[in-house]
Amino acid sequence: MQNIVFGLITGSLLAVATAGFALLRNTERFLHIAHGQFIALGAFLGVVLTAQVGLLLGALVTIAVVAGLGALCGAVLFDPVKAQGGNVLLFTSIGLAWVIYALLIAGFGTQVRIFEVSLGRGRDLGPISVAPGELVILAVAALVILGLWLLLNRTGLGRSIRAVASNRELAQVRGVPVVMVTRVVWALSSGLAALAGILLGILGTVTTELGWSNILLVLAAAVLGGTGNILGVIAASLVLGVVMDASALVIDTAYRPVVAFVILIVVLVLRPEGLFSVARRREMVA
Amino acid sequence: MSSLPFWATVLTFALVIGMAALLLNVEAGWGGMWDLGIAGQVAVGAYAYALLSGAPDATVPGLGLPFWAGMLGAGAITALVALLIGWPTLRLRGEYFLITTFAFAEIIRQVIVIQRGLTGGTFGITRIQRPLAEYFVPSAYPFVLLGLAAVATALVYLICHRVSSSTYGLTLRAARDNEPLARSMGKAVDRVRIATYSFVGGVIGLLVAPVYVWFLGALVPSTFSSHLTFLIWTGLVIGGIGSRVGGLIGATVLVVVSEAVRLIDVDPEHASRLAAFQPFLVGVLLIVLLRWRPAGLLSERGAFDRPAPSPRPRASADPAREAVSA
Repeated sequence: MQNIVFGLITGSLLAVATAGFALLRNTERFLHIAHGQFIALGAFLGVVLTAQVGLLLGALVTIAVVAGLGALCGAVLFDPVKAQGGNVLLFTSIGLAWVIYALLIAGFGTQVRIFEVSLGRGRDLGPISVAPGELVILAVAALVILGLWLLLNRTGLGRSIRAVASNRELAQVRGVPVVMVTRVVWALSSGLAALAGILLGILGTVTTELGWSNILLVLAAAVLGGTGNILGVIAASLVLGVVMDASALVIDTAYRPVVAFVILIVVLVLRPEGLFSVARRREMVA
Repeated sequence: MSSLPFWATVLTFALVIGMAALLLNVEAGWGGMWDLGIAGQVAVGAYAYALLSGAPDATVPGLGLPFWAGMLGAGAITALVALLIGWPTLRLRGEYFLITTFAFAEIIRQVIVIQRGLTGGTFGITRIQRPLAEYFVPSAYPFVLLGLAAVATALVYLICHRVSSSTYGLTLRAARDNEPLARSMGKAVDRVRIATYSFVGGVIGLLVAPVYVWFLGALVPSTFSSHLTFLIWTGLVIGGIGSRVGGLIGATVLVVVSEAVRLIDVDPEHASRLAAFQPFLVGVLLIVLLRWRPAGLLSERGAFDRPAPSPRPRASADPAREAVSA
């Protein structure tokens, strides 16, 4: 039981981290490896800013700054090479990941940092024990995901984003402001990464390796969720989180990430369209 | 610090990355298999070599075989592991192949960390058998190692060169450019791909990984993280994907430049800034090259075009010019 609750928390954080990645993958059609470094950047800025101006304000400023940076990177680094296809975008993203990683090491050093936030003491609720802070994190993650879903499905902006994701040329012809939508998607994606970084940092520790250690899980969740639907990504994240934490009951906890990657590989080989998509996914041209 | 042994060591490392980039080029450049898991194969080869040739009485016991037997064994083991990884993953295309190879490399690294009894876990393997070490004084050994690395690099280059000029290499490139066409010409595309993947793994285990192990002198799992994969990839991208020697030149430029920075004397306070320079350089080079010179320093067209008085115009690009030249 306890492990399932931990799994839900892990999974909902993973969902926040993956939602932005999947949004970008659907609209820009490439794997944004640097997304992990945006998570780490959010965590570091969050630690520094919340120590100065308090948790809420610090988190909001961090998210805004990282979102702006993301939109800027999209415009300056990625738009000019978009015509060259997904692999060039992917390797540009790997390059950006290295640059951010290097700047994090240079700017913040390699020592471990922690948020000065207490999660509170664990309370027993029947068979399980959770800290109030963990419930807050779970609630924040759920609210953000719900907000994202409402944004995508209930607003004009969301309709534009979905239009660009499903057919960029058609959207352009029909008068959707494609460039503006692209900027918004970059900002949204990076902002979500920053939030995920802050939440991950509060729950654990903040190190410069945070980005690299999370990007593979994000990749796994995004691929398992399939393209097209944000709900698939959320479901896949929760499944991965629960399975990873539940696997600790059976095998050594050190195998946690291995379990996630084995699931990824098995699913890709057996069902390459993802766990939750009905339509076969379009094959990306290499 | 800028002594000769230092530069011999830097060049040895450059050759190791260069060899790996040449092999990655066979797989990714000519074969179109964009492998993000090459560090995993280097890890398998390195640990296989260290365990086969390690002393039986060490903290992490080895089999005590002579170094050449260790190399052969490492080659066979890595080829087998590559075959096992390639069998499921090569059915996937494009980004899915990329993700699965990335995930496999991470699984390999985690398994090395977890299987403490076999691999020494995060403490690693500290006693490495280096060939010919007993015949030379330790201060001369960096040069011996450079010589060994140069011989291995020459072998890898000859192998890759042989592949590039064979029908096998042509099939590989044909399958990359137009798979249905290659199939319709009766080429066993799947078999060629998996053979290449396994073969590249074998050469990595036979030559690249042992030289890398001799260079390192000790093995820890963190050496084989995705950093290594991206370092090799950046070397290849700088040199030019698809060209014959591009990977070697690109890797040498990358390694020499980023190691030269270590010569700058800094107080320990700024050491972390300096440590950040290599990833920074790798990242900036990737971004800049892909933007302004995506073909790399040496391009595939340059490598495979026959020497001609003028560059061949593309068939459909400019019919008027074709008519004039005809």
